[in-house]
Amino acid sequence: MPAELIRILIGLVAVALSVGLIGLVMVWVERKVAGHVQRRPGPYEVGPYGLLQPLADALKLVGKQLFMPDNADPILFWLAPVLSFLPVLLLFLPLPLGDGLYTLDINLGLLLILAFSGLAVLSLLLGGWASNNKYGLLGAARAVAQSVAYEIPLLLSVLAVAFVSGSLDLATVVKEQGTWPWNWNIMTQPLAFLIYIVSALGETNRAPFDLPEAESELTAGFHTEYSGMGFGLFFLAEYANMVVVCSVATVLFLGGWHGPVLPGPVWFVLKVSLLMLLLVFFRWTYPRVRFDQLLNINWKWLMPLAVANLMLTAFFVKLAQFAVVK
Amino acid sequence: MTRYADMGQVAGDFYTENFAQTAQEGSLILNLGPQHPSTHGVLRVIVELDGEYVLRADPVLGYLHRMHEKMAEVKTAAQFIPNMGRVDYGHALAWNWAFVGAVEKLAGIEVPERAEYARTITCELNRIASHLLWWGAYLLDLGAFTPIMYAFDDREKILDILQVPTGSRLTYSYFRIGGVAQDLNEDCLSRIRAFIPWMRSRLPMYKDLVSDNIILRKRIEGVGVIEPDQCRRYGATGPVARGSGINFDVRRAEPYSVYPKLDFEIPTSMLMDARGRYDVRMIEIEQSLRIIEQCVEQMPEGDTLVKGAPKPSWKVPKGEAYFAVEGGRGKIGVHVVSDGGKNIYRTKLRAPGFSNLSLFAEVSRGTILADAVAILGSLDLIIPEIDR
Amino acid sequence: MEALLQGLPLDYLAACDYAKTGQNWQVFLPAGSLVKAAERLLAADWHLEDIAALDCFEGYVVTYHFAHFDRPGRATLRVVAPHDAPHVPSISSVFQGALWHERETRDFHGVIFDGHPNLIPLLLDPDMADCFPLRKDPKSRVKMREFLEAGQVIYRNPSFTLMTPDAPAESQVSGGTAATA
Repeated sequence: MPAELIRILIGLVAVALSVGLIGLVMVWVERKVAGHVQRRPGPYEVGPYGLLQPLADALKLVGKQLFMPDNADPILFWLAPVLSFLPVLLLFLPLPLGDGLYTLDINLGLLLILAFSGLAVLSLLLGGWASNNKYGLLGAARAVAQSVAYEIPLLLSVLAVAFVSGSLDLATVVKEQGTWPWNWNIMTQPLAFLIYIVSALGETNRAPFDLPEAESELTAGFHTEYSGMGFGLFFLAEYANMVVVCSVATVLFLGGWHGPVLPGPVWFVLKVSLLMLLLVFFRWTYPRVRFDQLLNINWKWLMPLAVANLMLTAFFVKLAQFAVVK
Repeated sequence: MTRYADMGQVAGDFYTENFAQTAQEGSLILNLGPQHPSTHGVLRVIVELDGEYVLRADPVLGYLHRMHEKMAEVKTAAQFIPNMGRVDYGHALAWNWAFVGAVEKLAGIEVPERAEYARTITCELNRIASHLLWWGAYLLDLGAFTPIMYAFDDREKILDILQVPTGSRLTYSYFRIGGVAQDLNEDCLSRIRAFIPWMRSRLPMYKDLVSDNIILRKRIEGVGVIEPDQCRRYGATGPVARGSGINFDVRRAEPYSVYPKLDFEIPTSMLMDARGRYDVRMIEIEQSLRIIEQCVEQMPEGDTLVKGAPKPSWKVPKGEAYFAVEGGRGKIGVHVVSDGGKNIYRTKLRAPGFSNLSLFAEVSRGTILADAVAILGSLDLIIPEIDR
Repeated sequence: MEALLQGLPLDYLAACDYAKTGQNWQVFLPAGSLVKAAERLLAADWHLEDIAALDCFEGYVVTYHFAHFDRPGRATLRVVAPHDAPHVPSISSVFQGALWHERETRDFHGVIFDGHPNLIPLLLDPDMADCFPLRKDPKSRVKMREFLEAGQVIYRNPSFTLMTPDAPAESQVSGGTAATA
């Protein structure tokens, strides 16, 4: 077997294991942070500091009856959660955790990530449609509109960074940045960072943009009819998506694995964790944005800003090239 | 032309079919509730949707109808007081007051002053608790998960204070015909004195973090505009009317008890939208604190139950009386008609939520579904009161 | 109130003691004057508080309470509907709040409101919508004048004797035994 393939297989196994672990950790972090923000302790019964709570949750989800509504389409119904979860594993492959520590050596890493994250939209649509439920349908329609809309500023802000670094290869992007914060891309592309974070919230359906799963309006939207492991897969996929999005942000804007003293992977994990914590805080602090306002933010604000940012970046990059040539 | 060529296609019950009779071509008929996280109890609203826009909405009631008015005809007056606690669990003491006040008016019983002050203090504390519950639940509907925890923290303090004199935490039956059941002792009063500054210190935090939050403002500003004329035609009262600029509060319009002696303001808002109603309720919390402060200071010594208060088997004398009270949701009215027999001949309970909800059908036309939910929340509905 | 309802055929108009009963005026109307009276009240900025029915010896006394936002005062309008044909015109075209109040009165007493666009059960289940729980046993129905406030009579239609203490009130009696199912 070629070395490439073995490397990818090992990577996939590692990713699959770590995604599971990340899911467990994130559930605990989310519930503890939620608790403390709301002036209550969060889980503390199951295990020390409630650390075994996610395990209990996982066991509960796995043990539930797999139930499908009467007139639902069985193939699409069970395909949707699988489709939401599996592609996410692929998204981890090009990410460099340290110097040379990446599974897939591909010069189009960024493009790969953006392309496969588009598959998530399909899974939302399938889930809502196949449930044979009006709430699910409305939730799916909203989710699709939202995801499709927010992909564009995401793409544009990422593209600006690619211009600056001159490559779509994630390893190169990280190498171009330096050890210290003032050498990171966030200094040269602050607007792109903000646009990226907001678009990421929109893409992953996290609060304040979690209308597709709005509990108080559409009784859980597109995943109303899912329980047990189906719901578990959607849930896990959401957290995995969050991690991917934060990792990409780290790689593109926060210097990836660069950092003084400590080894690369440690810095990477630290930075990703910080961003994840930020996203968790957002969820428990802000109310939900209404759907048309959500789309307005995208089309009226994020997109023009992202386009302007891109053009400005292109202009300055060209100018720099001229200056070098001169 | 109806959407369904053959009505047999409509999968629904009597109300859905009745609603679908006049449905438009290509619209979607959806039931919000009766089991729904944000319809505040067992309320069912049938909506006709065109995409996200509500073409028509029709609330369906009766899921919590317990026929209190019939119970009033088979119980004696004193036996009916606990029912009043169950009619509206948000502001149970106001309903207590409305019924007991009506009977006292009919029979010409005068309540001792200390009892009046006790009634006012407990009723206003209950009003604050009711508004806090509304606030937390409303923000939960809008997707903010944290304020309800803080609101319930404040409510815990109020419920702990009210637990000692009344014996209940939610469905109070504290009032008696001729006074109140138990006195507010010195320990209770000192806890109330400690509560007032603590609650005052929380309100600025709520204003900064929640009321001024841009996302919340965008959700409730301009949403659910209710004209004063609509309030008049539907009989809407309370913060719904005051949020539309109508300066009407039963405590000033038909003064009862010790309210004429107290100095407080009636907040009104000219905004007429959900934001106006929100602001009115938040200011009312502050005004209630003011009222409680004054009452605790002015409270005289004396009895808390009139001498010769009616026994439980007392028969209400002949006659009729209507008594109105300002509840958390609006004007609560109780009309008792008695023929001098063992039970009251007829008790009519006028629930403010009933009139407030009836204007939802007109107000929600043409709004987005998310806005319809925001409007429902801003009306502050407690379904047991509407269904009785 | 007399100025407001001038020109409409009334049965009985009295000024009442607010401190005792909570109402300032009590008006008995024939069914035909009801909608016009409601229109005049709306134009004078009264709002509808509630509509309820009272099952008395003489019939179902449908009671309308109106109050004001800007000044004190409560007016009670009453229409007597006979037991065997309890039809009352609906004021829901004037006061839309009446839409629900009238449905509730139909549920509890069986009073039919003519002209109501959607007189389906409101609080009761549609399967048992015709049980009319607040209807009284014909033997226990009480005469109106026993408990309704007579007040200071301002105007009384000579043929309306239901509120007069000594009149035998036989012409308008529906007997109390002719209860409808």
